[in-house]
Amino acid sequence: MHLNNYLNSKFLCLSLAAIFSGLISLGAYAAWDVQPKLGHNLTQLSKPVPAPDFTLEDMDEEKHSFKELRGNVVLLNFWATWCPPCRREMPSMERLHQKLKDKNFTVIAVNQMEDADHVFAYTGQLEVDPTFTILFDKDSKVSNSYRVNGLPTTYLIDKQGNIRYRAIGGREFDHPEVEKLVIQLMQE
Amino acid sequence: MPYIKHLLQYVAMNKRYINYFTLPAFALVLAIFGSNSGAAKITVQKNENSGLYSWVAESEGFSIELVQLLPDFVRAIYMKHDFPDAEVDQIAGYCVFGTIIKNTSQQQLDYDVANWYYTDKNGNDHPVKTKTQWLDQWRKAGVTFSWTLLPDRGTFYKGDWQQGFTTVELPPGSKFSLTYKWSINGIEHTDKFEGLRCAPEQLSQQ
Repeated sequence: MHLNNYLNSKFLCLSLAAIFSGLISLGAYAAWDVQPKLGHNLTQLSKPVPAPDFTLEDMDEEKHSFKELRGNVVLLNFWATWCPPCRREMPSMERLHQKLKDKNFTVIAVNQMEDADHVFAYTGQLEVDPTFTILFDKDSKVSNSYRVNGLPTTYLIDKQGNIRYRAIGGREFDHPEVEKLVIQLMQE
Repeated sequence: MPYIKHLLQYVAMNKRYINYFTLPAFALVLAIFGSNSGAAKITVQKNENSGLYSWVAESEGFSIELVQLLPDFVRAIYMKHDFPDAEVDQIAGYCVFGTIIKNTSQQQLDYDVANWYYTDKNGNDHPVKTKTQWLDQWRKAGVTFSWTLLPDRGTFYKGDWQQGFTTVELPPGSKFSLTYKWSINGIEHTDKFEGLRCAPEQLSQQ
């Protein structure tokens, strides 16, 4: 009985702490709401670099191997739900995906160290529900292999599997100039 | 730097008036303005919703914004990522700022937080604790999460920007200045953020 009471009170404390920390997080994220306007410039690498291969699971625990995408132009985005610019750029990724998905173009968002339940709840709150592939890099091994230092970081990869462009920080990926770069890579 | 060109033109035109008194003055002016330092345009804002302050400094090709974060917010962030209590308490005991840095130039920009330092109210300089230093400490405590802090080093091209936390070992409410450095195409620049203030322990103390 005492143990039950103890467990109940501990559970209550933990629940309150979780709610409290969630509220504080929301408040502070609101405090950090003045974010830079998103640009659209991608940096062309002076020399294309082979994109490291990886195999990761999606929301349904299905495995996806990067090398299977050879022949597609890939927009590979590293992100997390707590990252404000990641949230802001995601609708533009979805719009670009919708526009070019039938033309050998793939958008992949590689989530960092979060689980499918958390991401599923998060994507439901976005202004546009993403239909592109979301993969889970639970130990950040893939982002390390791509030398990602901060989130978001995005790479544009050509049909041969070489990294051709890079962007650190949020972008508007459906900007006509980004779309033009994607189409150029598709036509190579 | 056009003002140096004008200064040299003035010296050339007024050679016969230059004497032992004016030469040191010119040397001083060159020392102050000739190095790539100073002259950041600083904007201070108070967020009416949160009551917290933020500072933006626009310098040569580089913009840095520091946003006050309450210790409870910092505590909540690290609790949420399952950090051990001791690590949560330690970082929440630091003065933590949300930091946004941007390359506003058209060229390559490099920065290294290891070269930045803060000056406390007594005029003593201290290094900013870097992400690498935090991660080394956290790894020993069994923490693998590594994404909240501003990366130590970065090479930014046109349009690149980054955000993350920077940490200064000062108590809540402390006033200090931050000296930060960056380089554009290999030319180093230095600037100083004066009048910064850590977030208070509670918002009512701001």
